[in-house]
Amino acid sequence: MFRRRLPEWFVLLLPAIIVMAAVVLIPLLFSLYSSFTAYRLTRPSSLWRWIGTANYERILTDAKFWAAFGRTVLFLTIVLNLELILGLGIALLVNKVTWGQRTLRTVLMFPMMFSPILVGFQFKFIFNDNIGLVNNVLQSTGISDAALPWLVDGKLAMFSIMFAEIWMSTSVFAILILAGLFAMPRDPLEAAKVDGCTSWQTFRHITLPFLMPFIFIAMTIRSLDVARAYDIVQIMTGGGPARRTELIWTLMSRTGYVDARMGLANAMGYVSILLSILFTIYFFHKLSAARAQLGTGG
Amino acid sequence: MKNQNVKGLLLAGVAIVIASDSAIAQDYGSYKGVNIEAKLIGGQQYEALYGRISDWEAATGATVNIISKKSHFEIDKEIKSDMAAGTTNWCVGSNHSSFAPQYEGLYVDLNDHVSADDIEGFVPGNITASTVDGALLMLPRAQFDVSVLYYLKSNYTDEDKAAEFKAEYGYDLAVPETWTQVKDQAIFFADPPNFYGTQYAGKDEAIVGRFYEMVVAEGGNYLDENKKPVFNSEAGQRALQWFVDLYEAGAVPAGTTSYVWDDLGQGFASGTVALNLDWPGWAGFFNDPESSKAAGNVGVAIQPMGSATRTGWSGHHGFSVTSDCENKDAAVSLVQFLTSEESQLAESSGGSLPTRSAVWTANVQTAADGDDPFRAEALAAFAAGAEYAFAVPPIPEWGETTNIVFPELQAAILGDKSVKEALDDAAAEVDELMQDAGYY
Repeated sequence: MFRRRLPEWFVLLLPAIIVMAAVVLIPLLFSLYSSFTAYRLTRPSSLWRWIGTANYERILTDAKFWAAFGRTVLFLTIVLNLELILGLGIALLVNKVTWGQRTLRTVLMFPMMFSPILVGFQFKFIFNDNIGLVNNVLQSTGISDAALPWLVDGKLAMFSIMFAEIWMSTSVFAILILAGLFAMPRDPLEAAKVDGCTSWQTFRHITLPFLMPFIFIAMTIRSLDVARAYDIVQIMTGGGPARRTELIWTLMSRTGYVDARMGLANAMGYVSILLSILFTIYFFHKLSAARAQLGTGG
Repeated sequence: MKNQNVKGLLLAGVAIVIASDSAIAQDYGSYKGVNIEAKLIGGQQYEALYGRISDWEAATGATVNIISKKSHFEIDKEIKSDMAAGTTNWCVGSNHSSFAPQYEGLYVDLNDHVSADDIEGFVPGNITASTVDGALLMLPRAQFDVSVLYYLKSNYTDEDKAAEFKAEYGYDLAVPETWTQVKDQAIFFADPPNFYGTQYAGKDEAIVGRFYEMVVAEGGNYLDENKKPVFNSEAGQRALQWFVDLYEAGAVPAGTTSYVWDDLGQGFASGTVALNLDWPGWAGFFNDPESSKAAGNVGVAIQPMGSATRTGWSGHHGFSVTSDCENKDAAVSLVQFLTSEESQLAESSGGSLPTRSAVWTANVQTAADGDDPFRAEALAAFAAGAEYAFAVPPIPEWGETTNIVFPELQAAILGDKSVKEALDDAAAEVDELMQDAGYY
């Protein structure tokens, strides 16, 4: 009798494969299938009503979806860049500190320790037009005597949400860039000093190229995070008023869970995944280029 | 002898227990060993009633296992997920007249399980609002909601203010009877950012409900008999214009478009809002010095009129029994117990409004005889306001229409669109939704 045995590597990987299939692959395939159906949570039988690409066609011609998509890209771009600039600045400053640096590094991570929902509530209160801290300060210091509608005016509301997001996550950039600064060899910096380079020249031509791989890793991680921005936005504005702060995920969650149109919401999810994939490919491409420039990889 | 006495006492004791058991059991049945799983709305104001469940357990021998207790919006999402997953074999669920039509096939028609005599004890309007396509989906509990006008009394006792108002508007300053008067007075009283004339819910279902009742008060409607949207009529435009005018005049807080019930309640309690259309649950809070700066200065009056009738968007909580429940009789018994006259008297003693006619009468009488004039004033206003109550259209798509309509209402209020443009856009989208749903 000949019994075929499974290869050892496969047997060893099997538990992981089964778990991954159960928690990732099957739900992914299921949601992909349901995006081609008229699936409504409240009508389970609608899961078997195949409607082809109708959900996708609806999305492609839906101005509100594309407005939310564009707003998400804008949000992503501004937040990532500001977080990078601020994170880089903070990391460079902390790197200069010679006493109490460990304490500073710990303090730096405080905002990351809060749940995004709590951060949302905190900033919702801070930016409240009537009883909020910001207006209170502006009015009591005489800078403004009006109640600025921070969470209502389109530009101010986007600013407020971005502010909360940046407050919470700039430290991700700062910590990763700081790790890069610690790993940086001293020789090129000293050589530059001997050659008479200015501080700016040293930073521009030595420090920054060395930090680029760290920056792109931070960018990749944060771009996925920010593209999924939901908690803070949902708590602070709920995507409103008048859709002024509607991002893909607030729109998607309302469509799926409140309107119960899960098929349509899943189709939105698959279209928006494109955004995340594009950003990830872009940053990985830049990461490879930066590493190649340093001679640490291709 | 001694032994005989003890035996006699024991026997008498057992007889009393059996007699009292059977007296309660006659009302609610005997379901020894049955376990009823329930999903209930949670929150401090709802807990007192759940404390009574142990009485029902003692009377029937059944047990109740509360498997979920969340806010209504959370429980709504959970129930929808249960329906999707087919895990609906729990028995009793909290329900609401605005949510009930969504859960197609989930709950039994209680007309088949409860006698007509029992149903007659409830306020007819509440039974109508609990009925969808002829099926009585829930029995109403003592959590009936209709909004009346809360106001700061001090605004009506200042003679200089009254004279100034009369000179400007040409009529006497008094607690407003119409929504036009509310607008005039709100603009007159407003002194932003320190004091506002009024406020309104500005997002989600909350603003659509307020708009809906205003459309009805103006003589229009939200949907016609074929479920076609008609809220963009002239009545609808007048209704929305009222919200827009107040916002433009700065008579409401600039952030009102992001406010819902808690923000509004806290706003009025801060003593910085003159007129506030709000729900019964806030009455005690507004007049409690611990929680409200307006305490002692709060008046309660019937909700004002539009050009056709008074506003009166209402809703109520209730309990339903699932179709998949194994012990429907026991579940129905529990629901009857939770909505009984006794339970409603107990629950409404905390300030909520009942849904049984006899309990309304008893409560109004008790308040009139008592020594709390504010409670009597509030209850009288709510009793009068309840006469004009109407529920939202009993269709599963109500919630979805509100998600379409509210951003358009906000767009008009914030000046992004004209009133007509916003309502026409919303109506076009709701029209598409109704066509998709197969109404016409």
